[in-house]
Amino acid sequence: MTMAKTQTDSEHEWTPRIVAYCCNWCSYAGADLAGTSRIQYPPNARIVRVNCTGRISPEFILAALDMGADGVLVSGCHPGDCHYTSGNLKLRARWAIMEKAIEQAGIDTRRIRLQWASASEGQVFADGVAKLVEQVKELGPIQEEWK
Amino acid sequence: MTEASQKIDTAEKREPRIGVFVCHCGHNIAGVVDVEEVSEKAKSLPGVVFSTHEMFMCADAGQQLIKDKIDELKLNRVVVASCSPRMHEPTFRRVCESAGLNRYLFEQVNLREHVSWCHMRQPEAATEKAWDLVRMAVARARQLDELPIKQVDVTPRTLVVGGGIAGLRAALDIADRGFEAVLVEKEPELGGHVRKWTHLFPADESGAQVISPLIRHVERHKLIDVMTNSKVAEFGGYIGNFDVKIENLKTHKTKTVQVGTVVVATGFRPFEPEGYYAYEQSENIVTLAQLQELPPRAELRRPSDGRIVKKLAFIGCVGSREPGKKGHEHCSRHCCSAVAQASADLKDRVDEVLILYQDIRTYGRGHEELHRLALSKHVIYSKFPREEKPTVHVDDDGNIKVTWTDVLTGDQLEFEPELLVLATAMIPPDDVAETANLFSLTRSGDGFFNPEHIKLAPLTTHTAGVMIAGAAQAAKNASESVIDASGAAAKAVGLMARGKVEIESTVSHVIPELCSACHTCITCCPYGAIAMDEEHDPPVAYVTEAKCHGCGTCAAACPSNAIIMYHSTDNQIMAMIEAYLCPTDMEQQGGN
Amino acid sequence: MSDKKAINSAMVVGGGVAGMQAALDIANQGYKVYLVEKSPTIGGRMAQLDKTFPTLDCSACILTPRLSEVSRHPNIELLAYADLEEVTGTVGDFLVTVIKRSRYVDEEKCAACGDCTEVCPVEVPNEFDRGLGIRKAIYTPFPQATPNIYTIDMENCIRCKRCVSECQRDAIDLEMQDERLEFRVGAIVIATGYEMFDVSRYPRLGYARIPDVIDALEYERLINAAGPTQGHLIRLSDGKIPKSIGFIQCVGARDVAKGVPYCSRVCCMYGIKNAVMAKEHYPDAEVNIYYADIRAFGKGFEEFYEMARTRFGVNFFRGRVAEVTRTQEGRLAVKVEDTLSAKPMEIEHDLVVLSPGIVPPQDLLRLSEKLGVSVRNDGYIDVSHHYFGPVDTRIPGVFVCGCADGPKDIPDSVTAGSAAAMKATIILSHGGQSS
Repeated sequence: MTMAKTQTDSEHEWTPRIVAYCCNWCSYAGADLAGTSRIQYPPNARIVRVNCTGRISPEFILAALDMGADGVLVSGCHPGDCHYTSGNLKLRARWAIMEKAIEQAGIDTRRIRLQWASASEGQVFADGVAKLVEQVKELGPIQEEWK
Repeated sequence: MTEASQKIDTAEKREPRIGVFVCHCGHNIAGVVDVEEVSEKAKSLPGVVFSTHEMFMCADAGQQLIKDKIDELKLNRVVVASCSPRMHEPTFRRVCESAGLNRYLFEQVNLREHVSWCHMRQPEAATEKAWDLVRMAVARARQLDELPIKQVDVTPRTLVVGGGIAGLRAALDIADRGFEAVLVEKEPELGGHVRKWTHLFPADESGAQVISPLIRHVERHKLIDVMTNSKVAEFGGYIGNFDVKIENLKTHKTKTVQVGTVVVATGFRPFEPEGYYAYEQSENIVTLAQLQELPPRAELRRPSDGRIVKKLAFIGCVGSREPGKKGHEHCSRHCCSAVAQASADLKDRVDEVLILYQDIRTYGRGHEELHRLALSKHVIYSKFPREEKPTVHVDDDGNIKVTWTDVLTGDQLEFEPELLVLATAMIPPDDVAETANLFSLTRSGDGFFNPEHIKLAPLTTHTAGVMIAGAAQAAKNASESVIDASGAAAKAVGLMARGKVEIESTVSHVIPELCSACHTCITCCPYGAIAMDEEHDPPVAYVTEAKCHGCGTCAAACPSNAIIMYHSTDNQIMAMIEAYLCPTDMEQQGGN
Repeated sequence: MSDKKAINSAMVVGGGVAGMQAALDIANQGYKVYLVEKSPTIGGRMAQLDKTFPTLDCSACILTPRLSEVSRHPNIELLAYADLEEVTGTVGDFLVTVIKRSRYVDEEKCAACGDCTEVCPVEVPNEFDRGLGIRKAIYTPFPQATPNIYTIDMENCIRCKRCVSECQRDAIDLEMQDERLEFRVGAIVIATGYEMFDVSRYPRLGYARIPDVIDALEYERLINAAGPTQGHLIRLSDGKIPKSIGFIQCVGARDVAKGVPYCSRVCCMYGIKNAVMAKEHYPDAEVNIYYADIRAFGKGFEEFYEMARTRFGVNFFRGRVAEVTRTQEGRLAVKVEDTLSAKPMEIEHDLVVLSPGIVPPQDLLRLSEKLGVSVRNDGYIDVSHHYFGPVDTRIPGVFVCGCADGPKDIPDSVTAGSAAAMKATIILSHGGQSS
């Protein structure tokens, strides 16, 4: 495979690239359950496992968008169910600020999605990925927005 | 730990020599993902000195292959692309360690749960995703650091939460084995539901016969500290060294105890079927739990006026097996057999007994016999359609009329029982969310606690050192709860008998030179693990590692980037993002 | 505490999931465990399964780490291919004689390279694949077998000695004798598992007469990637892909006339799981389950049943199957009265899978006699009390877990294994006295 060919391929068939930050205890396990339950969902997301969504700083999301991610998903435990008591609440508090920062950079906030999916909610996780992929497909490649 | 820190230094200086092992998992992965292509491409990634694919990496042959390659090629990082790390990370970490490689230099890629099983009809997209994930993992592996392996002592004492049949059994087994147990029960008396039941279906005994000897033994045992009227108010620490604050609900006095392990046996509550089958409209419509509490008598009398019951009816699956209704989708397991026994017992005292059911689940030892006994006594079983539940009407005189469609004949039938028993669901106790929070337990769709693994680790949880037993885990009967309790006790004793346990080194660390002493981390830490080091000049934040659980919230919050979250550093995470989104030419082309 | 020389060891008989769990939980407390397994490898029935309910986890994936954990444990001595011969003594001090059958392969020397099996000219049906595949006379049952040592099946060996000359480590000795070993142990755990009901005892269902009527364990091997067809689900008669599959439940369970009055507890769920797997292999296939009651009673089971119905599109027919016959076109006609519609029906399938109940192993009675424990009418080991001794036999110091005292699913077997370990270690910790 040559570089040129790869590029033309990607130009012809743009498929959204999604970075998904998942906490280990709820959403990563929920994604596992989606797999064991054979729930089929769009293959666009690449999961990055963190212990807790509280670990996710605004830079993680901005950097992903900056490097060309068409969307970023953050999926954690439901409020009140955090394995670390309240890490997800800290993330939620940061979220509004993050959305502002993204908006100011001229990026549509529909490119980022915060969801709660527990270890027993494989379907919720899968639906969340599908939803974001759909949203991002409507918005088109992120390069257009950075211009 | 001086030796360990030296190791860290040397590891950082070493050039990465990464081995990549892609697992077929039989057809599970290889049936969808082109594992050969992925492993071939991985060969050209920076730092990768070896890459292959193998039928089962977790099997002995696969494990041996990793060890051999670590030896032969002096690998200092290992990436296995197989199933979820929640399944096999401990396995592969152990393999690396047995070959002399620090466990934190291992990285796993989830190609099964997150790729092949959820993109089964898109082999090309799945292979591309697998390749991306392998590339990301290799990038992370290049950034991995060795971390010290820490061992802590296990306090030889177990906290047992809940004084029902499971909690009593667990405490007794632990104490009989020679370890201390602290048994906390919120009610004034031990014994849970079983104590209140004059009929313990599906057994011949009454609840008191079963529970009294247990209570007696527990109360007399010198190694068991019984605390009734009490609840766990605070819970902290980590495996082997938990601090528990127990509050007396009457006096509000608190007591702090240190324990090494915990058995959560908080049980269930019978569902109150409000809105079901005219439950609120008649005193003569009762739950199975209420029937179990009726005083034993020669004849069955109805609650409203004490008249002798001639016609008795049961309806099964009340608040159970309701697809789409959260917390009520599960089968409550014990009711079919309990109803079979109750009906067979009571048939001798009444003229007619009718059981309306969906499926007859008399699965256990001796349960099928109870069902046959009921049939032989002419108890009438009638199956109702799942889409069309029976209806119950109470008229102005208080007469109950049940109307339903009998599946076998297709006929619309009626029955007018003097007493209607609703076999209601087992659901978690009211304070289950509080208990879950306290011990960091997750709950499944049925509302009960999740075990560590539903098949092979049903008694342990994802909170190391905390076990679950009895109906706290799922709906089950008293005999099954007793077995659970002994099993959970074995897990607790295993930890205490060894006396030492390894704990994770994935904690956060403040770099004093970068700390601006803003206190942000101190306020956001859920565990109070960060404080100011006033001795330091100028004062800076520092982390008490034993208290740190490794959530990383502080690292994300720190405005000065002064906090490193070990094994989840900014560099490690950013390397993955970069490898995915901006691969270098070499990375992008893979094998060429 | 009269005996100061307390015996700090226990024996577990049976190396399936229950026995392995019991062994691990005893060994993890620092006691020595002798784990006796009659077949050449531990792992039991679970090793033969393809997927497990209700999570569809692959069986080998979750089992194999358990196998290595047992074989690696410093406190567990694995005695595979061995039988319990004689037991004397009482609680706290049993003397157990074990016959370790000769593998004709030196366990120390064999490196499981497989050179021997390649040159072996004898091919026989592989029991592990329920006879659907073949193995050589020198073999290991499956690739992850533990211990991973070859065994010669002397009944079929023709003594050509090709393996002897091929083995570079001189591990093969055709004159090797059985060993008689004695162990003193303080407690014994029985975990001897189960066998499948012989479905040919229902001639009307066609098994053994019609090649495309198979039992559920054969089905497990057929859909398993490491099985005889590399995971391709095909008809045994003509190798064609079945477009329609019927699963018949309760074959040899809840049937007083056949001597199996009890419910086998696992068949409903493994039947549903097998049906879901059929849909996974062939999403367009028609998949029917014929059942009496669906007993989805464990954690997550009902939810799985619901998922099979609604998401995977498995059809459920309530009714006992009267007969399975072969049509002229080579399809299978299932005669059933659907009690939900009260109509007799005849439905044609390409493949029919019978879901057998489970029965006690044939040699359980002999073993129970050696140990002095009682057996119930149904052939399983009797426990002393539902509530006070659910894993205790009537002989002090002898415990039981897994399917040895009645059918159980995997989590219930594992839990009972842990519970039996707890009881055994209480005995050991008191130097033989039961608390």
